[in-house]
Amino acid sequence: MHVAPIPAILLLATTQLTHLAPVDLAILLLYFAMVIFIGFYVKGSTNTSEQFFLAGREMSAWIAGLSFVSANLGSLELMGWAGAAYQYGILATHWYWIGAIPAMLFLGIVMMPFYYISKTHSVPGYLQLRFGEGARAVSGVSFAFMTVLMSGVNMYSMALVMKVVLGWDINFSVWVGAVTVALYVMLGGLRSAIINEVLQFVLIWAGAALIPILGLIEAGGWTNLKAQIAVRMGSSDYMHLWSTLGSFKDNPMGVHWTGIVFGLGFVIAFGYWTTDFLVVQRVLSANNLRSARMAPIIGSAFKMFVPFFVILPGLLALVLLKDSSGHLMQLYPDGSDMVLHHGAHSFNEVLPLMMIRYLGPGLLGLGITALIAGFMSGMAGNVSAFSTVWTYDLYGAYINKKAPDAHYVSMGRWSTIVGMLISVGTAYLVMGAASIMDYVQELFSFFIAPLFGTVILGMLWKRASKAGGFWGLLAGTASSIFMWLMVLHDKANIRFMILQPHASADTILRVQAMAANLYRAAWSWLVCVLVTVVVSYCTRPTPESQLTGLVYGSTIIPDDGSTKIYEKPIFWAIVVATVLFALNLWLW
Amino acid sequence: MGLDIRIPLGLVFLIIGGIMALFGLYTHGDAALYQRSLGIDINLVWGGLMFAFGAIMFFLGKRHKAPEDAPDTHNSAPSARPRH
Repeated sequence: MHVAPIPAILLLATTQLTHLAPVDLAILLLYFAMVIFIGFYVKGSTNTSEQFFLAGREMSAWIAGLSFVSANLGSLELMGWAGAAYQYGILATHWYWIGAIPAMLFLGIVMMPFYYISKTHSVPGYLQLRFGEGARAVSGVSFAFMTVLMSGVNMYSMALVMKVVLGWDINFSVWVGAVTVALYVMLGGLRSAIINEVLQFVLIWAGAALIPILGLIEAGGWTNLKAQIAVRMGSSDYMHLWSTLGSFKDNPMGVHWTGIVFGLGFVIAFGYWTTDFLVVQRVLSANNLRSARMAPIIGSAFKMFVPFFVILPGLLALVLLKDSSGHLMQLYPDGSDMVLHHGAHSFNEVLPLMMIRYLGPGLLGLGITALIAGFMSGMAGNVSAFSTVWTYDLYGAYINKKAPDAHYVSMGRWSTIVGMLISVGTAYLVMGAASIMDYVQELFSFFIAPLFGTVILGMLWKRASKAGGFWGLLAGTASSIFMWLMVLHDKANIRFMILQPHASADTILRVQAMAANLYRAAWSWLVCVLVTVVVSYCTRPTPESQLTGLVYGSTIIPDDGSTKIYEKPIFWAIVVATVLFALNLWLW
Repeated sequence: MGLDIRIPLGLVFLIIGGIMALFGLYTHGDAALYQRSLGIDINLVWGGLMFAFGAIMFFLGKRHKAPEDAPDTHNSAPSARPRH
């Protein structure tokens, strides 16, 4: 989610940063052996399509919840956001807190019952039940296309990092990663992917947690760290979450609180966490309604602490990362002259640099294993979601509707391999033209915000008609692409998106691409909602009988079996929301 | 589901934690090696913690799995076809 670009410039690096000792290699090999073993072990229990694509719908809330948050925790994101923290300060934390937690809680409390009761197998599947084939086709094709591309980008990034950090050959890394992930997903389907994601999640925590712990010890604690950063940066703006968001000019990111609250906190976060099938698929595997509602809430509690080992290392690097002569190291933007021609490191290298700074033989193996685990969980998430949407929503819906169940399982296994091969192709494509990586990440954001508009209206508004859903989704996506082209053509056009047509050149310059995305998402969502509402009122409503189990007001939500207060999802959602509120207040 | 997730998770942490702790014991007192980690024998400390976590997970998983190994008397759910 919200992936920050990884430096294509890394490709130009000629020397590796470190090397692995035998003990590090032993840890890494053990990890590979275990993930493949899990694939073989669960193969015997993935014989039906429900077992292969939805893990038999028998995962506990804890497993589904950890997998839900782990599928998102790719190393591409870890490294990108650690770099963003170095560049923009603690503001980057918004992408983990307001940009994730409220949406996850909303999924668990409000939306999950509809996904779960409808017994849909995918998000495009829900759209088909609610809005018909047109909406499913648009969403299924765009999702399948994007997931394999994202998987390829992830794969290439992993290979690049391994080349820079360890000097590994890019082809070797691409193929070892691809074959391993394809093998365990093909063998054990979603079940194997989920078990490995939980394993990878805990390994990432174990491998990454020591950097902030040792860093805080060296900095002399949190208060000292804040003071040192204020001295280094000449202002305390880097360490405030909200107090600098009153104006585009007052913070390093060039963002306003409206963009963070409405663009990120509402549209992008809700779009990603409630409608991106890659993460929703993990929750659909839950063994009952209560588990399905609890899973995102458990995931959100873990998500809340991810900034500890992503954002904090970026902040620590501002005052602790030193070069060989003992001076503070200065990192630079990708593509800058310093990176290109003077051998300086870029922002996005901050996490590996901090890893090398603190981890010696033994722990370095664990840290590298954690990075690779992150990449692999991201790839597996994409490829398992791709195989499900391809088999159910494209092949099974339009090509071969009446095949036996075993045929769909077989198709799922083959599409895993084909999906991975397309990803490898994408990785090589990106290798040839690195700017493609940025475009792929931008492309992903075209679909997410409007999709959320369509799904949320579908779930909460009975009057939304089939035509309304289809045209709303199409118009929202088209408007997003239009705004992107508008800014690509002339960056000054951002002033219309931020509703400041007379904005000064300085203000426009300060608005970073990341902030512009927030406004584009908010507008495309609004377009989707408006078009859906207008077209729905102009067309015939869907009969009430067809809305049962799909829409609020036409569905009786069954009792989830929780009796005591601490068994109720809403209780834990309030606990998580309270902690989130307190953390934001603390870092205001 | 055939495999309690705590068992592979516990095994991975037992083995990796064990390797790290042993390596930490072997290199204990090597000031140059642990200069990066502020002079702390971090392999021994962290490896030991991981080993303990792995042991707890593994035994919890084993204890929970034992009753499940009895013959299954429940009918498994009928296979579901895709809902097109």
